Amino acid sequence: MSPAAKPINFTLNGRRVAADVKPHHNVVEMLQTQFALFGARESCGQGLCGCCTVLVDGRPVSGCLHLAVFLDGAEVITVEHLASPGKLDPVQQAFIDCGAFQCGYCTPGFVMMTKALIGQHPDPNDEQIRDYLSGNLCRCAAYPEILNAVKMAARNSKAGSTG
Amino acid sequence: MVAATVSGGEIGRSLPRLEGRDKVTGRAEYTHLMQLSGMLHAKIFRSTVAHGRIKSIDTSAARNVPGVYAVYTSDDVRKVIAEPYYGPAFHDQPILAIGKVHFVGEPVAVVLASDPHVADQAAQQITADYDELPAVFDEVEAAENKTLVHDELKPAGTFADLKHLKGRKGTNIALDFRLRRGDVDKAFATAANVFEHTFRTQKVLHLPLEPHASIADYRDDGITIYSSAQGPSFVRTEIARLLGWPENRVRIKVPYLGGGYGGKLYIKLEALATAMSMLARRPVKIAHTMEEHFYTITKHPSTFRIKSGLDKDGRIIARKCEVWWNGGAYADIGPRVTQKSGFTASGPYDIDNVSIDSYALYTNLTPAGALRGFGVPQLVWAYESHTDMIARALKRDPLEFRKQNLLRDGRPQATGTILKDTAIEKVLDRIAERLNWKQPFDRGKGVIRRGRGFAVALKAVISPTTSVAIVNVSADGSTTLYCGTVDMGQGSDTAMAQMVGEVLNMPAESVRVVPRDTDVTPYDMGTLGSRSLFHMGHAVRLAAEEARTKIGDLRRELAEPEGSNASLADLFRKKYGMQAGNIVGTGIYKPDYIPPDANGLTTNATPFWMVAGSGVEIEVDTETGHVCITRLINVADVGKTINPKIVETQLSGASLMQLGFSMFEKMHIDGGQVTNASLADYKIPGFHDVPPVMENEAIDTYQSNGPYGAKGVGELATFGLSPAIANAIDDAVGVRLTELPLTAEAVFRALRAKANKPLEDE
Amino acid sequence: MMAFELLEPGSLKEAIALIDPDDPEVRPIAGGTALMLMMKAGVFRPRRLVSLRKLGDAFSRIAASPAGDLTIGAMAPLSALENSPTVARGAPVIVRTMRRLSNVRVRNVATVGGALAHADPHMDLPPVLIALGATIAVSGPAGERTMAIEDLFTSYYETSLAKNELITQLRVPAQGETRAVYFKVTSGSADDWPSLGVAVALRAEGKTVKSARIVVSAATTKATRLKAAEAALLGGGADDKTLKNVADAAVDEADIIADLRGSASYKRELLRVYAVRAVLAAMQTSGGPH
Repeated sequence: MSPAAKPINFTLNGRRVAADVKPHHNVVEMLQTQFALFGARESCGQGLCGCCTVLVDGRPVSGCLHLAVFLDGAEVITVEHLASPGKLDPVQQAFIDCGAFQCGYCTPGFVMMTKALIGQHPDPNDEQIRDYLSGNLCRCAAYPEILNAVKMAARNSKAGSTG
Repeated sequence: MVAATVSGGEIGRSLPRLEGRDKVTGRAEYTHLMQLSGMLHAKIFRSTVAHGRIKSIDTSAARNVPGVYAVYTSDDVRKVIAEPYYGPAFHDQPILAIGKVHFVGEPVAVVLASDPHVADQAAQQITADYDELPAVFDEVEAAENKTLVHDELKPAGTFADLKHLKGRKGTNIALDFRLRRGDVDKAFATAANVFEHTFRTQKVLHLPLEPHASIADYRDDGITIYSSAQGPSFVRTEIARLLGWPENRVRIKVPYLGGGYGGKLYIKLEALATAMSMLARRPVKIAHTMEEHFYTITKHPSTFRIKSGLDKDGRIIARKCEVWWNGGAYADIGPRVTQKSGFTASGPYDIDNVSIDSYALYTNLTPAGALRGFGVPQLVWAYESHTDMIARALKRDPLEFRKQNLLRDGRPQATGTILKDTAIEKVLDRIAERLNWKQPFDRGKGVIRRGRGFAVALKAVISPTTSVAIVNVSADGSTTLYCGTVDMGQGSDTAMAQMVGEVLNMPAESVRVVPRDTDVTPYDMGTLGSRSLFHMGHAVRLAAEEARTKIGDLRRELAEPEGSNASLADLFRKKYGMQAGNIVGTGIYKPDYIPPDANGLTTNATPFWMVAGSGVEIEVDTETGHVCITRLINVADVGKTINPKIVETQLSGASLMQLGFSMFEKMHIDGGQVTNASLADYKIPGFHDVPPVMENEAIDTYQSNGPYGAKGVGELATFGLSPAIANAIDDAVGVRLTELPLTAEAVFRALRAKANKPLEDE
Repeated sequence: MMAFELLEPGSLKEAIALIDPDDPEVRPIAGGTALMLMMKAGVFRPRRLVSLRKLGDAFSRIAASPAGDLTIGAMAPLSALENSPTVARGAPVIVRTMRRLSNVRVRNVATVGGALAHADPHMDLPPVLIALGATIAVSGPAGERTMAIEDLFTSYYETSLAKNELITQLRVPAQGETRAVYFKVTSGSADDWPSLGVAVALRAEGKTVKSARIVVSAATTKATRLKAAEAALLGGGADDKTLKNVADAAVDEADIIADLRGSASYKRELLRVYAVRAVLAAMQTSGGPH
């Protein structure tokens, strides 16, 4: 059987967009096949690694477990929205400055989670950072550098600088 | 000896990774995410039995699913590739199962469709009928050759160090490496004390967050393969061999890898993608799910029986090592693990009489291959636990006991190769210093007990291998590096750019390192075994030096006065009348090597030794067996640190990966079936597993034959962690675990056994 | 994943009507996190999913009565409970439990009702809710009923609900001076499904326990109250003899099963230890609102 595609309308990285999605399509495959956005990646497929993190109505969700149809009427932000021409987001710059990645596959997910964390807790302590990021996996194990990057990003986001 | 050069200031710079911007913005390219127009998605149908003859495969239902382009089995593959077997050591692995299946998960058929969901659904409609055969899963049992995995072994002859492999029948032993130094039997007979222990390690796997992926675009006159691969040159050679084509018709393109750790070497999906594209006459993409890694490649489980004889003064005078490596159903690079790591099985100790027997075994499990450490962590697990147990049995300080027996520069390792630039004692002393080993240590009296332990190890680098690099200076002076080393997060692009910058006196950031493309980047043996910084580093340095020489020649040709500040752009303009032309330098590096004789002995086993160790402080909850690492120390001899920050992250990352392998990772297998093939049930380290205190140190040394004094880094911090933890557990609560992983339940059972109240078995 | 049809009813009555109790290929979907896992694993192959996401805001509301009873709409995401000052006041143990419950992304999407209906014995919330004496309101074609959560789970992924009954509300009675704790014991990585969960809620006068609920989860096929252990605790306190009786009773009563996170015999020993640790911790926790 082949159920019909449903039209959805939502805001993607600040723009109003429309898409036709089949009910069984998840957010990651929609973003990749229809919008050429590859920062969110399906890796574990079980919502455990965070590589697929996108922000929906300001909250991080696992794109690999989220049906694309659920985005109707929502505000979606992906990692591609963070940098502006010539300038990286303080979170992104902090990840570079602290060497908080190796292979980079999990990096957009960590960046998006960090953005959400700092949005909710502008001055997180180590324990809060670890708890918030405990659902993001890095097989290269750049965890110590990521912790430093989050703290730097929090400092620089408060100061309004890009680090 | 590397000649002194004008310093460009690039060596020793903690330059951030050059590709950082791409990675933090989500724009870095990975094969798993790539799309080619017109491509078909492939979904693999896999064996559900561990060993069996294929009676029939029914693909009719699958072929009738709307949207399915085709369904192929080995019958189809053999129409386009007559002998569709591959492998770096043995050509034993069929592109799709032929006649028999040898492990649960082995690829049997493939569905192609434009919609990956359709391919997935159709693959589930394929059925196969097998005549099940007896299967063998344990490496020691496999060595008895009662149940045979393969009817005949077929050596490949591709790599120089594995040319000697023989074809055989009637055996599961793919390789038996032996080393004989002195006379162990005689020494044991005179020994004052003899100790023998057996250690085991479990099956674990790499699980890079980017699973395996390859896309093949076959045309009648050439093929392009995009792959998440660590060794594009080998892929090219092997695919060319399978197609019967010259190499220059096979193009391998490798963007960034979302992790490799050894799991993306040699051939993984490239041959299958090639065959599918040949049959379909369309580009074909195979992108694994995380689960499919469990059916692709893993680390070798092992059994290591180790026996040491000591004289009355506590000197180890004899060590006998027997190692059984569980290689799974196909050899992959197992024979090299068996041999190249095998010869370090006696450890970093000065022992006159050594006997090593190292066996690569076939079993009916997912194949085992290269995984960060390449067999050495398994060996160190045994020999550093064993050495510690001996020290404790003799009531000797584990540090002093090791120092009494340690190998030092100028002395022969077990192969007979004299050690040079191998700072074993310095590493050991630094670990002990950081642990405050000589200070008293409070082990506590309550429910929580504390302990500390350490381990030290060495590894040889694979030899002989060849690396080629090309440095291209453009007419405006901007410089490009072409080399086949694959950056999978270890920072190789950055380090190589630093070396070019050092030679040509330009900032590393200005050097462009092109993505791997065998149409462009020349031969490299592979990005593996911590070899690239040394081998490709030399090739890159040589290439840059040749370019520099040619620039000097050009200056003279143009009669530039000595000390002239004419820029490179000026020189080109003068020579060609405009912004035109290139200066190209090539570097080729292959170190000297002498293959081992029939006794495994050679005076030149390796161009450099890696040395590293770990120390830990732990807490043990004696009521539950839970072990918490409170402090983790890694110390390594990596020669000169080209990029200290990257070196530190490599030590840290390797260590945390090994933490998972030590404490909780394990593939659970029931009758050949993996029962925890997902991240939900196979846990890898996360933020909460990182010890609260971690210290990573690269000691200040210099590898005289290394580029700028450098040598390999990537694997070092995997060596010593497992035994360091077991030694600390013994220190804390007096129980000795001889199998990995070191789970709370394992510790608890050992505690109860020690208290003579053993917990019942299940 | 297999293609399916998604229906999006606008009312509870409509939703219930769309779920044919005799058709195993039709299921309700709330947040979808657990369901997606099952569908991707091929354990469940739906033809039709009935979304509960457009039934109205009332189903997400969190409120407290003047007496302190909490009502939580079944469609409230777990993160709503985690961040709710009302829940923090009324049942702080729920907020504490959320810190290590799955991960932030799952908590942002998974709903309370969906989690309870899923009935995975490893989940953290069920033992805590049972310890608090929580109940649920359920709606079906025949109308409404309420049920204690301790009566909800029958086995692995199985509840006592009819297929076309939907949880509409979670109710947590006012806790007064009750002190509650939850211990999540993991045996693999630090973040994992627990190999054992123990929740304890008790009311003490001085050093004497007046009422207690002791609940085991993860090592059993469903979250289970250990009534014999509770009885052993009543009238006693934090003395060694009482605690040993509690631990022994817990181990005797709990139906512990082995899995890849541990053997049954080991998990029994863990329960023996953590029943005591949980009781002690509960006695040291201050009761009442935070």
